[in-house]
Amino acid sequence: MRWFGFGFNAFGQIRVHEKLMEGARGDAANDVKVSGPTELASKADRRGCCCLKTACQIRASWSRRASLHFDSDSCVCLAGFVSSEAWSGLPLRESRGCRDALISESCLTLAFSDRLESWDLQKEEKTPSWSMEITPPPESSGPSVGLPLVPGGYIATKPPLYRSLSPQLRAKSLALSSEHAILLSASGAVYTWGLGSHGQLGHGGLSSEEEPRAVEALLGMPMSCIATGSWHTVCISDGGDLYVWGWNESGQLGLPSRGLRKALQQQSSQQTGALHQDVGTSPAEGPQEGEQHEEVFISIQAFPALLDITPSCEIRSVSCGCRHTAAVTTTGDLYTWGWGDYGQLGHQTLISSDEPQRVEFFREQQMQVADVVCGSWNTFAAVVKDEVSCS
Amino acid sequence: MKTVSSTATLWSKISAALPRDEEEFPLQFGDKVESSVVEMLKRCRRQLYSDATAASRMLNAQIVVDVSWEKLNTGTWRHVDKEWRRVYSCGCLFKVAALCRDDPSADEVVQAVRTCDMGLLMGADIMDDILQVIVRILQGEVRKPTELEEESEHTEVKRMKTEIPRAPVIKEELAIPRIKCPSLESFSTNYLLPLKPVVLEGTIGHWPALNEHPWSIGYLRSVAGCRTVPVEVGSRYTDEGWSQTLLTVNEFIDRHIWNKEGVKGLGYLAQHQLFDQIPELKEDIRPPDYCCLGEGDEDDITVNAWFGPGGTVSPLHQDPQQNFLAQVVGSKYIRLYSPEDTDKLYPHQSKLLHNTSQVEVENPDAERFPEFARAPYLECVLQPGDVLFIPVRHWHYVRSLELSFSVSFWWS
Repeated sequence: MRWFGFGFNAFGQIRVHEKLMEGARGDAANDVKVSGPTELASKADRRGCCCLKTACQIRASWSRRASLHFDSDSCVCLAGFVSSEAWSGLPLRESRGCRDALISESCLTLAFSDRLESWDLQKEEKTPSWSMEITPPPESSGPSVGLPLVPGGYIATKPPLYRSLSPQLRAKSLALSSEHAILLSASGAVYTWGLGSHGQLGHGGLSSEEEPRAVEALLGMPMSCIATGSWHTVCISDGGDLYVWGWNESGQLGLPSRGLRKALQQQSSQQTGALHQDVGTSPAEGPQEGEQHEEVFISIQAFPALLDITPSCEIRSVSCGCRHTAAVTTTGDLYTWGWGDYGQLGHQTLISSDEPQRVEFFREQQMQVADVVCGSWNTFAAVVKDEVSCS
Repeated sequence: MKTVSSTATLWSKISAALPRDEEEFPLQFGDKVESSVVEMLKRCRRQLYSDATAASRMLNAQIVVDVSWEKLNTGTWRHVDKEWRRVYSCGCLFKVAALCRDDPSADEVVQAVRTCDMGLLMGADIMDDILQVIVRILQGEVRKPTELEEESEHTEVKRMKTEIPRAPVIKEELAIPRIKCPSLESFSTNYLLPLKPVVLEGTIGHWPALNEHPWSIGYLRSVAGCRTVPVEVGSRYTDEGWSQTLLTVNEFIDRHIWNKEGVKGLGYLAQHQLFDQIPELKEDIRPPDYCCLGEGDEDDITVNAWFGPGGTVSPLHQDPQQNFLAQVVGSKYIRLYSPEDTDKLYPHQSKLLHNTSQVEVENPDAERFPEFARAPYLECVLQPGDVLFIPVRHWHYVRSLELSFSVSFWWS
């Protein structure tokens, strides 16, 4: 499996450039912003860095990227802003034998079969800053859930770290931003809670919820995959349809964004942008700004809206950065939209977009994208080579 | 009078306001600010005192601005950690330095002013209010309106005044009482303690805003034209289409006073602490003497500016402090309801708007709000030089009758 990354690279989390470390001279712009897909180093470097060709998962925060290797000798490697250059790329000793990992800007959380550990990334310490024993669930309860879900609850982004969840929710997967949460249950129902001031809970208003509340607009339509950005939420239905809600200030919902058009006008860019996009696909509720003779812009979408991607396709998986969204189709294409100032959309530009656009690089290279994971301001795509030309 | 100093010496002026070198430049932040962000700030600081390309400086400054902007928009504003607001101000400072370093164009100077304002509006004090120092330097470089432009606009304002619709006639039995220059004791005994509204006449005649520096559109342009301020757009803040945006004072005047671009929707520079942002204007006003009857001192008084065209409306609402509403330019129709009659005023249920009535005061829906017609009220037309005392939690509705500038003082 090969991984490609694009977007924010100020700490070398996508590719390391010698000059970056000095930070003084030269036009570092090319390397702080990687605007086209770049393969992550996959050969062992001079220090015997782990090989990315083996099956591996990626997790990324703002300044770092973690590669998770799950085989007989599972471990986590870090790239980006690491406390000492000596550690960059090497398997973390502390991570050996872990089954899952999560990375935030301040800590790395590891799940082992019998315990959880949270390591402070800002200090070099010998012991985790937090840990908890867990009793592994019985084999019969089905496949184990992934972080941040843990038996009986989940690991939050700030203290108290462990929070319990009602077993009635039958949590299958969970996505968290710093202020809101979305839970996917075994039945395909979706629950949200946390702050709602940007419509990110999908209940139709701007109020917060203290407890998980079912997203009624999607009841009866089982969902299969969920993801959160800082202020938006996305999920995929069993049938491969994409639903979006929350803040659209950078076009991260894929709906017309006034703020974005204004910013683009100010940059007087070459954006051709379909000014007469059909907004009928979205049951646009919630506050809207609009003027009669122009199209309707959406800054906050407080109810789920169905997002059409053209040409029509089925979505297999989706991931969100702070203000952008990336989705993989069942035919191996990668679409991105939202904030693009750091190249995180991968179209070889630094332009944001409020319309889903295909990352042409992978088609051109005859590669099928199998999965996508977003860091705060970047995107990582897992690729398999496609011998037959794409349909 | 145009001075000879050009943008060539702009950097030397700004540079003189900055710390002498890297060692003197403080970058201390609390635990909430991650070390990766501090690392980025250090890169910016290093570039400030060494060779770097303009692009690289801008890039790194913008990274700091972008990451802290995200923090400022996370959670409720009240709970945003002050350290992140300081980081944001630092980012703005580095960005301004990058913009002004190498012979900036007029547009770059305008961008720099805007960046200072963003730091002043959303950030927190760093390095003894350095952004305030720098924006003053920058304002000296920005093109001022010519005498001809000022005069022609002055004529327009005069013409606008003669076209206003007739002000509502105030019925005598409903009029808020008026009194000229009461003593502190008299005001306290007759109005403050019993919480009775009154219009104070003759108490702000000494304000420079009404004397040496009479506030006019021309004056505001010259003192603050290039400065960025928050503007409310839409008929009233309870409406669905209502929104807030950031405009320069010039843009606000062009679009919402003159409606040059045929913009739909009223614009209102409302509830903004303009006088903290633009100290020159602060010198034109004085807190009313009667504020000394309150508990706190002058620093505890919240002063807000309210500037907009005719027709701006503040829906019926109540505030948790005493209020002196001083009228400087133009006139406003104001209606007051006692907190005792709250049950007839149908406040919104939501937490966000529970201090606001659902009723449109000058066009009430009698079916939805039958009791409203039975609520007693007092009203007035507030004129330049008047100060309205709105007792704490008194419900008030305000509509500007013409181009208007008011200053409110919230105190306890």
